[in-house]
Amino acid sequence: MDALLTSAVAGLTAGGTYALLGVCAVFTYRLVSVVNFTGAAIGTAGTFALIALTEAGYPTWPSVLAGILVGTFVGVAIGTIMTRWFAESSASTKAAVTVALLVGLIAVGLRLTGGQHPHVMPELFPGSAFRLAGVEVTIASVLTIGLAVLFTVLSDLFLNRTRVGLHLRALSDRPMAAELLGVKVQLLSLLVWGLTGAFTTFALMIIAPQRSPNFMTLSLLVVPALAAALVGLFRSFWLTLAGGILLGVIEGMASTVDSISQYRSAIPFLVVLAVLLWSQREARWDDAR
Amino acid sequence: MTWKSSLLAASLAALGLGAMAGTASAAGPTCADGAIKVGAVSTVTGPADFSEVPKATQAAFDAVNAAGGINGCKIDYTIADDKADPAVAAQAARDLIDNKEAVALVGSASLLDCAVNGATYARKDIRSIQGLGVDAACFSSPNIAPVNVGPFTLTTAMGYYASNVLKAKKLCAFFIIIGGTQEAYKKGIEDWEKISGQKIHLLDLTLPFQGDLTPYVIKARDAGCDTVLTNQVEPQVVQLIKTVDAQKITGINWLFLAPGYTEQVAKALADSPQPIYAGTEWEPYTETDSAANAEWIADMKKANRPLTAFSQGGYLAAQMFLKVVGGIDGEVTRDSVNAALLKMQPISNPLAGSPYVFGEAKTHSPMRATKVMKLDKGKWTVETKDWVHLPDVK
Amino acid sequence: MTRASLRASLALVAALAVGGAAVVGLLPSYWVFLATSVLITGVALQSLGLVAGRTGMIALCQMSFAGVGAWTVGYLNLAEAPGDLAVWILLGGLAAVPFGVAIGLPALRLRGINLAIVTLSFATAFDTILATITYPGQTTFLQVPRPALFDSDGSYFVFVQIVYAVIAVALEFLARSRLGASWLAVRHSERAAAAHGVSIAASKLSAFAISAFTAGISGGLLAGYLGTLVAENFSMMASLSLYAVAVMTGAHFAEGAIIGGLLVVMFPEILRRFDLPQDIGNVLFAIGATQALSTGETMSETFRRLARKLRPARRTKAADATGASLPQPAAQAAPVALEIDDLSVRYGSVVALDHVNLKVLAGTVAGLIGPNGAGKSTFIDAVAGFLHAYEGSVKLAGAALEGRPAHLRARAGVRRTWQTNRIAPELTVGGYLNLAAKGLTESEIAAILGWLDCPDPEVPVTTVDAGTRRLLDVAGVVAARPAVVLLDEPAAGQSHEESVRLGQRIAQIPKLFGSAVLLVEHDMDLVRSVCSEITVLDFGKVIASGPPAKVLGEPAVKKAYLGIEEESVAA
Repeated sequence: MDALLTSAVAGLTAGGTYALLGVCAVFTYRLVSVVNFTGAAIGTAGTFALIALTEAGYPTWPSVLAGILVGTFVGVAIGTIMTRWFAESSASTKAAVTVALLVGLIAVGLRLTGGQHPHVMPELFPGSAFRLAGVEVTIASVLTIGLAVLFTVLSDLFLNRTRVGLHLRALSDRPMAAELLGVKVQLLSLLVWGLTGAFTTFALMIIAPQRSPNFMTLSLLVVPALAAALVGLFRSFWLTLAGGILLGVIEGMASTVDSISQYRSAIPFLVVLAVLLWSQREARWDDAR
Repeated sequence: MTWKSSLLAASLAALGLGAMAGTASAAGPTCADGAIKVGAVSTVTGPADFSEVPKATQAAFDAVNAAGGINGCKIDYTIADDKADPAVAAQAARDLIDNKEAVALVGSASLLDCAVNGATYARKDIRSIQGLGVDAACFSSPNIAPVNVGPFTLTTAMGYYASNVLKAKKLCAFFIIIGGTQEAYKKGIEDWEKISGQKIHLLDLTLPFQGDLTPYVIKARDAGCDTVLTNQVEPQVVQLIKTVDAQKITGINWLFLAPGYTEQVAKALADSPQPIYAGTEWEPYTETDSAANAEWIADMKKANRPLTAFSQGGYLAAQMFLKVVGGIDGEVTRDSVNAALLKMQPISNPLAGSPYVFGEAKTHSPMRATKVMKLDKGKWTVETKDWVHLPDVK
Repeated sequence: MTRASLRASLALVAALAVGGAAVVGLLPSYWVFLATSVLITGVALQSLGLVAGRTGMIALCQMSFAGVGAWTVGYLNLAEAPGDLAVWILLGGLAAVPFGVAIGLPALRLRGINLAIVTLSFATAFDTILATITYPGQTTFLQVPRPALFDSDGSYFVFVQIVYAVIAVALEFLARSRLGASWLAVRHSERAAAAHGVSIAASKLSAFAISAFTAGISGGLLAGYLGTLVAENFSMMASLSLYAVAVMTGAHFAEGAIIGGLLVVMFPEILRRFDLPQDIGNVLFAIGATQALSTGETMSETFRRLARKLRPARRTKAADATGASLPQPAAQAAPVALEIDDLSVRYGSVVALDHVNLKVLAGTVAGLIGPNGAGKSTFIDAVAGFLHAYEGSVKLAGAALEGRPAHLRARAGVRRTWQTNRIAPELTVGGYLNLAAKGLTESEIAAILGWLDCPDPEVPVTTVDAGTRRLLDVAGVVAARPAVVLLDEPAAGQSHEESVRLGQRIAQIPKLFGSAVLLVEHDMDLVRSVCSEITVLDFGKVIASGPPAKVLGEPAVKKAYLGIEEESVAA
């Protein structure tokens, strides 16, 4: 039991990351109705800008700012593609586009960053916060979970309580109608893309030192992130948060059980499968078709 | 061509050679159109970059060509990128064998060349002096013999060092298993158990390629390991030690294989209080004053290539090939190179602790010696002045 | 339909035979090797084209299915199973089927996005699992042997070519079958497909199962081709880039799969020749796929469009019904075709239908009218089984329909049309009728089309105008000769003359096809001319019912609905 608790705590760091990326995915989906497979790749681009700058000898914090700007820019660039050519497309076409873009982004990313040698990723928040069940919980992991909670609260308030939030929701339902109401659809969508880009970048910067900073592996964090978002059915920020943290904790626990730890990466898949089968117990017709 | 027929061809060629040596006085290799065609299949783009290896081979060949070639024959060397993609690797090998008509493969270094192309090499009867054997198939194929110790033999060697020198009582091993390496690592540990007479305290084959390592570090601590041996590659070595430091763990020796032995690792872990060791494939490349490195350093400096462990591998493979070809009397063809490799005597080179030989065995892993490095304040220092030779398994 | 499949298949086999002979006869062994690779990738792409192209689902784990096939072949080889590679490959394909079905299960009820996430996480999971399992026989240097007849590179190419041709022909026949039509229909509109009695679950799962089978075959072919395999052959990135290629070239077309295979195989070759880095390929595939998605046209479709332009334009001819006879009308024993008792539907606090009673007698045309928002479409949805829940009972020829999903009600004999047209545009006119009604002969199809002035069966639906598509809708439901036909505003958007003609046809339906008709319509002239009984709905309640002359004269009806209508007609 003790070992299980220990490993559960050890899984918190990963859980915070999944939760944060998952919440970003839900935010994007609810505001611009795109299931974004490039989410983590956008953040990875910004993170590698930071690495490149610090490796070139620039001071850390200005580089962080520049990295976030790069992440924002990549987000806006992808957002431009999506709003310019795919604003009226179906949800699955949009998802297909982001899948294609992911393939391209990873290829470009690996090309620019190289795969073999490790990049020295500056630790933005070194040290450990406290000790729990014999595990040092690092400041970085506390921060990721904290950020995930913060973003959840903010998104929830923003979408449900503010005028701009309501506008944005209107926009995601019917871009044309929102346009008629005088909402600047293009601008607002790009804002969303930029914002999530900046946010994911910062999140990945915090956790990158604890992962192997490789363009592909960081970009593929989108898989557990989307699994978390599915737990929230792409609607609820709180469920997504819980789903992400739970995924991390289960993965942590799995690593102590020898017989299953080899198949640990299958956990997001099993969770997704379970959630979908449960949430779709009864037939529902797709209203759009 | 099957194995038997290639053996037949080899012995026929050997007979022919003997006959020629008896009659003609003009010994030495000749070539039909002034060039000996050689190739390499390496991972250059994609998730890893091993191009340093064949580029060093290229540099060594360039030096020979600049000096007039082998007996007047220039070496025409082609490096084919496999993108770590099996389909591309297969294409690249076919291109070298069928279109470029390479006589041998020298200085290849790839994530999957051996596994994908080992069979092709056997079928097409061509041999590869691998510059850096990475996957398990490099050490278990009839037509491939790497010039490096390789992660599997090195696992046994580092375990041997841990139990003999560090006096480890509770050796734990954590491995990342990718593409068919499971059996090879297990065998590496079994060999160590046979040599040392000890039992492995904890063997974990589930280290994740990506993801948080905290659970594993905690596991090692809670199991009471006094020495941990792992096959982490470069970026994850740093990640692992950072996680260990974050968890404030002390009292464990951390042993890595050759991929951990880089200057980037040394720099990134300069502040770590952990005792960190790494085994080398060849003479430690950071020892620039060592006599064993002198020739290699001189050639690399001339070619303007960086001094890395990878470039030692490529360079060494080129030297072995040059020696073998230099001993051929008559035309250098795929058949004559094959024959020479099969009956070659072991060749020593100061860069390596064991002599290199190809020979007729079904699998090849000729290199069985390492030097152990220790990390000391951001610098690698040699822990073992002499080579750690792995005794044969009883 | 089979004649068209046969023609296409023959063309394909001939093209393959000529191309194959040229490859084996003229090219050096390296190029034969590459050509084999093209075809194997083509098989994998065809499997992807089936799910991605035909059913419109995003499948990102195709190479994982191939991996299952390849590993199965490896194990069979290691175990020295009886038979040779050809048998093992088949077993490998079968082994992939359960995986395909399991993955397809969560996609049954919801759209493609979820499926994309499921398949991507499966690919990730499979990646790590496969990475830990060495390819069977690799450590002992055991190779997967090729069939004795096809051992050399050249003859193995022929073997792969035969497999490719068999799969392509089988898929061609499937695509033109009712099952194939159901995939397109489900992709376009699940509800419309269900209204034709198509089981959405069976349709999607069959697509996934066949696709996984085909992918498994491609994995087995690869095993024989390379002798031994590594996990990277089937990595998630391989699946992702294969998906991009499939989207770009349109892998559900036979030529699209070949073009895709050529791109995947030849790109590294070209890049190597020009000394360019190998990873440019994926970037180009990503751009190509995005471009194809933005124009909504794949490379194959572009080629087909250009080819059509070159050929002299064919006039859309009307169906030739001379000498063809309509199918036998269905015998209806029960005197009451459809009986609705106390039907109530609530959406939250809003009552959409309030204790509605209605009867449609066999052999008659009944009308259901009412102002916009009166609940007419809700009524049809409830009867046809498209609502979550309702109170009251719906009886078809005396048998209660409660608890049966839409596609079973359709099969039992309730067919409906839609206010907006939902015919999948990729179908041909004949393919659509074949989907709507099982087992019609070609001459019967022609007769029904001729009866409604619809175009020839070979005409693609894309080229049919909106008004004619509404007629096609009617043709579909009557062709099935169900007990009752629910027509939801069939005359909307038709000119007056067309609507008069349509009225004549609707009046004939009971006699010609044996089906009772419930007509929902705003066109009062049409209602008056064809209906023997009408029911008027207002705010979810029945305010009048009976013969048209009597009902339309009632003051309540005039006030609620007709008053305004008649005035506006007069004005």
